[in-house]
Order: sequence, then C-alpha cells, then structure tokens
Amino acid sequence: MNNKKIGFLFGFVCLLLTFAIVVQIKTVKSLGVETNVSFAEDALRDEVLKWKEKYDNASVELSKTEKQLEDKRKKASQKDETSKANEEELKIGNTVLGLIDVSGEGIEITLKDNQTVTTETATSDMSYYVVHDIDIISIINELKNAGAEAISINDERVISTTSITCAGNVAQVNGEKVGAPFIIKAIGDSNTLYEALNRPGGYIELLNSWGIVTNIQKSNNIMIEKYNGVINFKYVKDAK
Amino acid sequence: MFIIVAIVIGCIIGAIIGISAPIIPYTFSGYLAVAIIAALDSVFGALLGIMKKNFDIKIFVSGFFGNAILAIALTFLGEKLNVDIYLAAIVVFVGRMFTNLSIIRRILIEKWAIKKNEKSK
Repeated sequence: MNNKKIGFLFGFVCLLLTFAIVVQIKTVKSLGVETNVSFAEDALRDEVLKWKEKYDNASVELSKTEKQLEDKRKKASQKDETSKANEEELKIGNTVLGLIDVSGEGIEITLKDNQTVTTETATSDMSYYVVHDIDIISIINELKNAGAEAISINDERVISTTSITCAGNVAQVNGEKVGAPFIIKAIGDSNTLYEALNRPGGYIELLNSWGIVTNIQKSNNIMIEKYNGVINFKYVKDAK
Repeated sequence: MFIIVAIVIGCIIGAIIGISAPIIPYTFSGYLAVAIIAALDSVFGALLGIMKKNFDIKIFVSGFFGNAILAIALTFLGEKLNVDIYLAAIVVFVGRMFTNLSIIRRILIEKWAIKKNEKSK
C-alpha cells in the first residue's frame, strides 16, 4: 500500500464527489425551488426592515432639506429687489408644477360605487357598476378641457407626471393607492366646470345611468394640497 | 503531500465535468443528495484511517460505494413506506463526519504541538 496508489484513489473519489455535488447544486438551482423557506423568509424580513429604515431616513432628510431651502430663499429674497422678483417667479413656477398648496374657487366631485346593486339584481357585468381608473381619467380630462387649473384625487395632486392606473380593487394615482369614494377637487371657474360636467350626454350622466353615485358641489374655497413626491428629471436637458 | 495534491486536482476536474454535465431529474436529486452525504462520510473516515495508519483500500472502496448505494436504497424504501428514512441516514452520516473530523483535528494539533516542542528545544 503505497502513497501513490492512495493518492490516485482519493483523486478519483473526490472527482466523483465534486461531480455529484455540482450536478446536484445545478439541478436544485435550475428548478428554482426554495430549499430553505425560513431562511428566505428571514432574508425578506430583513429587506423590509432595511427599506423601511431607509424610507424613514429619507423622508426626515427631505423635510429637513426643504426647510433649509425655504430659509435660504427667504434670506436671499430679503437681500435685494431682483431676488424678490425671482422668488415670485419661483412661486409661480411651483404653483404650475403643483409643489405648493393652493386654494380658490372650484368644484368638488364625489364618485361612489353603485350601492344598491347586488350580484342577483345586476342585469349586466358587475364591473359596470363600480368606478374605474378610466372613469377618473375621463373626468380629469373633461375638467382640464373646461379650464381647471389644479386637480387632486383623494388629496393626490394631479401633476404633469401623474399616472392614473387600475390596481385591482383600488386605483393608483402618483403610485399611491386611492379607493372609493373618490373625491376629485378642481380649482377653476366653478360655473364653467359644473356645467361642463353636468351637460347632457356627458360622462357624469353615463356614470349615473349605471347607478354610480355622483355628487358635484360648487365651492368658493377649495383647498388642494401640494404634490408630496419628488419630481425627478433624468433625461430632460436644456435645449440651447 | 501527494494525497492532498491528488484531492485538489480531483476536485477541480470533477467540478469542471459537473459544470458541463446536464442536470438530472428532480426525483433523482433527492437520492443523489443522500448518496453525496454517505460518500463524504466515507472520505472523512478514510482520511482518519490514513492518519491513524490503519487505512485499508478495500474497506474504503466498499464503504464509499456501499454506503452510497445503501443510503439510496433506504431512501427509496422510505419513500415507498411513506417514512423519511433519509433523515436517519443523514443524521448518522453527518454525526459520524463530525466525530471523524474532531479526531482528525486532535491528531493534527498533537502533531503540531510535538513539532513545536522539538523546535523550541
């Protein structure tokens, strides 16, 4: 029994073993089965906690920087007249972008799903009796056409980058979930907006024909909150 | 020394072949896992045998394949009887692996201590 013989034998045995191990690992991986569920769960939990902390930190940071920015602006505008004019311009810009709270004359629309219909009494598909993302989009479109200057859906401000999508049993505005009843606020000439929505053959009439409860109220003092997110422009550049 | 080099070369060649090999059906992969554990146990047992200088090539080879085949057969039987026999096989083999490894560790440390003593003298 010499060392050489044992060495060859061991080499061959290890070859077989590593071959089997590698094949086994490949097989398990290719199937995509979770071999250890509790490990995976813990990893997910860690991930959630980490993101939560990150989110909290980021929102604190955001409010801090916003305060700083405000202070800086105030200080700058106190110094001289031209920066005061700049401040005014900035304010107008932010109003257009939807970055500050605004108020004024306007209307408030409430959309509620049909409350009386049940699966037995429904004469057609159930989905006709509930408010969809497409209904909200159409109303927003009509409001804009009638000259609305600021719009919000359940206090989610509608800005240039806003998307309104379906999210199962709720709708999504600005990536935030909003559910029925939908309260759409719009600032503009209240009479024009009211008549535009209430016209015969309009979208509100269509919704009413399906039993969707709509309520339009004129008001002299509509408050619309600012957009809470951050507008990120990565690809837009100044064209000179 | 030659044995260690042979083991390393064998592992590398095995890994290369394994990476290029096709995957096996999922039903077989359970058997293969038990066989791997059984074979690993034989290898550690053999290493211990070499250190103790009572290594026998016949015992090693028969143990290597015999244990693997026995483990696969027991797993198969367990599947037919609806009992997780493979758990028992894994407990026994892994337990023995730990014992063997601890004995190997002790032998290595003793050798190292003796060498150190000689040097200091």
